[in-house]
Amino acid sequence: MTPTPVWRRALPYLLLLAAAILLPFTGSTYWGVIATRAAIYWVLVAGLNLVVGFAGQLAIGYVALLALGAYTTSVLCARTGIGMVPALAAGGVVGALFGVLVGLPALRLRTFYFAMATLGFATIVTQVALAWTDVTGGGVGVPGPSLPAPFDTPWGFYAACVMLAALATWMTANIAASRFGRALVALRDADVAAEASGIAKAPLFVTVFLFSGAAAGIAGGLFADLQTYITPDAFTFDLSVLFFIAILVGGRGSILGPLLGTLLLTALPEVAAPLVAWSTFLYAALLLLIVLLMPGGIAELLDWRNRRPLTQDRVVLPRPALLADLLPERHRAPALAVRDVRLAFGGVRAIDGLSLDLHAGEVHGLIGPNGSGKTTTLNVIGGFARPQSGSVVLGATRLPQGAPAARARHGIARTFQTPRMVGEATVLDNVMIGGGVTARAGFMEAALRLPRQLREEAALVRRARLALGAVGLDALAAVRCDRLQHSELRFLEIARALLAQPDFLLLDEPAAGLAAPEIHELGALIRALAARGVGVLLVEHHADLIFAICDRVTVLDLGRVLAAGKPAEIRAHREVVSAYLGA
Amino acid sequence: MLEAVIVSGVAIGAVYALIGITYNVMYAASRVMSFTSGQLGMLGGVFGAWFILRLGLPVLPGAVLTLSACALVGLATEIVAVRPVLASLEKHLYVLSTLAFALLIQQFVAIEWSTEPQPFPRLLAFGDALIDQKFWLPLAACAAVIVALEIIYRRTLVGRAFLAIAEDGFAARALGLPERRLRMASYALAGVIGGLAGFAGGELMLAFFANGPLLSFYGFVPVALGGLGNNRGAIIGGLLLGLFQQAASFLVGGLFVSVATFVVFIAVLLAAPQGLFGAAAGRRV
Amino acid sequence: MPLHRRAFLAASAASVAAPVVIRPARAAETVRIGWIPALTGASSAPGIGFNRGVILAAAEINAAGGVGGRMIEVITRDTQGDPTKAVNATVELISRQQVAAIWGPVNSGEALATTPLIARNRVPSLHPCVIDSLIDPAKYPNAFRIAPAGAQWEAAVRHYCLDILKVRKVAIVGDTTGYGTTATRDSVADFTRAGADVVYHDLIDATRTDVTADVLRMQQAGAEAVIPWSVTTGLMARLLNVRGARGWDVPFVGHPSLGSGEVHRLLDREAYWDKVYLVGYRSCSYGADGRLPARMQAFVDRLRGKVDLADTTLWWVAAGHDAIRLVAEAVQATKSTSHEAIIGYWNTLTSWPGLYGDYTWTKQEHNGYPTEEVVMSVASSFRDGAYALAPGYS
Repeated sequence: MTPTPVWRRALPYLLLLAAAILLPFTGSTYWGVIATRAAIYWVLVAGLNLVVGFAGQLAIGYVALLALGAYTTSVLCARTGIGMVPALAAGGVVGALFGVLVGLPALRLRTFYFAMATLGFATIVTQVALAWTDVTGGGVGVPGPSLPAPFDTPWGFYAACVMLAALATWMTANIAASRFGRALVALRDADVAAEASGIAKAPLFVTVFLFSGAAAGIAGGLFADLQTYITPDAFTFDLSVLFFIAILVGGRGSILGPLLGTLLLTALPEVAAPLVAWSTFLYAALLLLIVLLMPGGIAELLDWRNRRPLTQDRVVLPRPALLADLLPERHRAPALAVRDVRLAFGGVRAIDGLSLDLHAGEVHGLIGPNGSGKTTTLNVIGGFARPQSGSVVLGATRLPQGAPAARARHGIARTFQTPRMVGEATVLDNVMIGGGVTARAGFMEAALRLPRQLREEAALVRRARLALGAVGLDALAAVRCDRLQHSELRFLEIARALLAQPDFLLLDEPAAGLAAPEIHELGALIRALAARGVGVLLVEHHADLIFAICDRVTVLDLGRVLAAGKPAEIRAHREVVSAYLGA
Repeated sequence: MLEAVIVSGVAIGAVYALIGITYNVMYAASRVMSFTSGQLGMLGGVFGAWFILRLGLPVLPGAVLTLSACALVGLATEIVAVRPVLASLEKHLYVLSTLAFALLIQQFVAIEWSTEPQPFPRLLAFGDALIDQKFWLPLAACAAVIVALEIIYRRTLVGRAFLAIAEDGFAARALGLPERRLRMASYALAGVIGGLAGFAGGELMLAFFANGPLLSFYGFVPVALGGLGNNRGAIIGGLLLGLFQQAASFLVGGLFVSVATFVVFIAVLLAAPQGLFGAAAGRRV
Repeated sequence: MPLHRRAFLAASAASVAAPVVIRPARAAETVRIGWIPALTGASSAPGIGFNRGVILAAAEINAAGGVGGRMIEVITRDTQGDPTKAVNATVELISRQQVAAIWGPVNSGEALATTPLIARNRVPSLHPCVIDSLIDPAKYPNAFRIAPAGAQWEAAVRHYCLDILKVRKVAIVGDTTGYGTTATRDSVADFTRAGADVVYHDLIDATRTDVTADVLRMQQAGAEAVIPWSVTTGLMARLLNVRGARGWDVPFVGHPSLGSGEVHRLLDREAYWDKVYLVGYRSCSYGADGRLPARMQAFVDRLRGKVDLADTTLWWVAAGHDAIRLVAEAVQATKSTSHEAIIGYWNTLTSWPGLYGDYTWTKQEHNGYPTEEVVMSVASSFRDGAYALAPGYS
């Protein structure tokens, strides 16, 4: 499959924009107001979409931020007499600040808790608006602001809102297509893999909450202008539900879907006036149907490409030669050493005084029976598990414990026993998740498509294609990841890990579920990696593979090293042979 | 004065505690926190008023029918909003499906019943000597539920199976326990408990559609603070919350109460995400 | 067939479906009146009451041959009390339906948003919302109030408490809705200005299930009368129940919702409705002989069997009826449906005999309801949507 050309991806947006430009020629003020409303809601939903649709955080009470933006803008205009444009900017700032405040619990709380917290916040904002009479006017409210000419007429205001909506669309689409969008989706669907790829949750979430809060605040200011007058009554829970459902109806991880969802849900009550009493009931029914029957929403419905059948009987054919281009000749990293690590879960000792050295350019096998501590060792090296004593040392640097997202910067990458991929993203996007750690361009550079961002993105795509070629998956680059076979996912995980240009690669049972020829290809690939200077730690059950490709083997038993040495020595080790190799 | 504050605080706190237990019973069987928990409490009031006042049934059959109806709603929650999403890879879908189902229930009641609070019958002809029955009934219901749960969980085979599922669903399945039927039974049980909360607190809360989201939130606060799955925490937390609300509205009054409840809720959760009595999360990789 | 509330809901839903309530054959020549009540949702009781009067008035006028041969066409849009829906509906009525006049919305939160919009288009507008700032002939020369302003309600309550009941210490409470906060604030200011001692005032969350603590505080503060401002029937009933259960013998004087059947149904004992006085109107009050004023009695007799009054309030029905007649008469008198003509006609009305009151509007004053008509009524005297005058009035 070839990637969709840019113009075809932009086509639906351009059609919508054309429709928006043509609307005034119908002369219907009424539909003008409805379309203005839809544009304003979309400014908010576009930002919220990054939180809900991409980061997967169920922020239900975003009407609170709409209210904050509306009140900030209106109160500033009414009481200080500054123009609406600076007031609108202030509304955006207030929205951004509170967006972070509301969002912070998402860093620590589970989904349902977070949903509840946002709901509670929405109630509180309304109550404060009512009680703080001196500023907000209480129940009497405040008059809404008005944009300066030429945006002070209904159609002028419509134009301003459509322009902002288009800007919001463009910016969020840019973010979605950047490493930030991929990182959000990765945190949503494969958080462990995201952290192993060097994606730190906290700073990214704070940035996204700032952005979506600002969008919501600005939408609030526009909302106040449209309403001409705001009271706390205007910020109903139904509105929150509408925003939220628009995204889910549209489909997670899509921009076009939620945009269509917003238009649909804004216009629907106008067309179906007799059902007004049932509108929230119908929204809820729609949500339930979407969740149960079509979790992908409108976006999935529109995704024709991924309904085309893939070729059956695909074979993964790695081309290790491409590694030369992907992993250029570098300075060899110092050894990675695990020193006297002890770690117990409750009363069970998972690792009990383990030490091992991993050298650049070497394949180091780690074997042992189930429960002997192999994966736990990987977790300690990868920063996922926090040992009670002992350390992981890279050259002279002691690596911090329990900070997995910091490992990628130290040149450590890994794969997982069960592949952790983003099923809804393409194969290429999944690989590129691994390369985020090498990029420098910031969030706003991505949102505005500034030159550095474009340069880095192009380089990343090129390297991702190289990595896919190296592991033999380049033909599947544009396919949704959840359509791949299990064996393909194993190779895909390696490609993703390679994009971080690691010095050390931790592979957790990469041959599990592979057919014999594939295991053979895998072995060759691993050897080629070592030849490029990568130190590989290989946890495996396939003894043949271990002995065929390892330079060194460590055997674990009950969290302790039973034997360590060259494959030939291990093969001859009496205890190992009698216990595991079944002589 | 103090006495009146304590009496009404404990009464409303007992309702919160029961809704908290409703959350816990559902959670134990399925690892799902359901937005319908509070709606069950609301339905307990509405069904009670409907059967006894509108249809004129005596109190006892009315109570049995109310709790049965709530058990059915609990079952429906399991079938419609929980079972279909349990298998899904996306582990948070339940938040959406139960939210949608809760909204459906609430809107349906708003349209078909009334958007104004409706009267709830007096349940007993006696029992107002010291304290009005509407204040002690919720507490009595709460005590009855605790005793009943204790008996079910500790003394019956089904109850032990419940506990096994709650402990480790995977292992329980491996042992051949009928996980699906136990889960359905749990949801029916949760329906009864939630319904009982609304029924016993009916005179206090009235038969009002908007009680649903209110109870969903205030019933969740003790669960979150006490630790998920911890009934003791839910009861202590519920009673404390009720007392706190009444005391705060007596001492300070006004809007302060709901704002303060929310702030405390968030602050405690941020400090101790697992709740004050909860266990830490398991390993991720 | 009497219109019951439930059957009525279905009927109104159907009427919205057909967006026209009464659509005569010659649709092109009708007088179109936009009507934007909340007919469903949490604050729909007044809208439903007004609507009965609206339907009746339109039917009566049309049965009598319409206005100068033209039929009245009422275009109804249910807003559910949501300001955003009210704004959408207003724009639709003005730009698409090109109505001659707009009646409503009936809730202040909605009217605050729609009033500037309607004013921008200079469409004649009638509404019954009490918030004072909604009427301002300079800013909104097109907007007329056909009910008392909030200040008139507050004055009636204050007058009754201080001059008739002769209490000095009052507790004033409201719910935490927009209306509740505003009315409470204004009422506190009004009582304080009059030299009364406001010993307690606070807002109570309308969703609170138990208000014992709040009543205790009022009692402790030494209040001799409680002034509640809320449209939330549950809150009103809870306050009265706590007062009754604690045997606290003070009068409740306040918002009309105190007298609604919804509150009555929620009371634990019949006696808890005693010493409850609500804002009412002479035009809708039973005299000592148990009869309404002649004009209103004739109206109620006419309604009998057609409109159910048992579950609503008479003044809502009467005001809804008046609103349609005010538009119809303006069109009749000026032989025009132009906006300027209707507004100009309304500006000249002096003691126009409505059912609900005699309206007087001038170019400078659009609060047309006579203050002396606003009185207090006895809640427990409720019968067919009307009440008896509170003791102390002649």
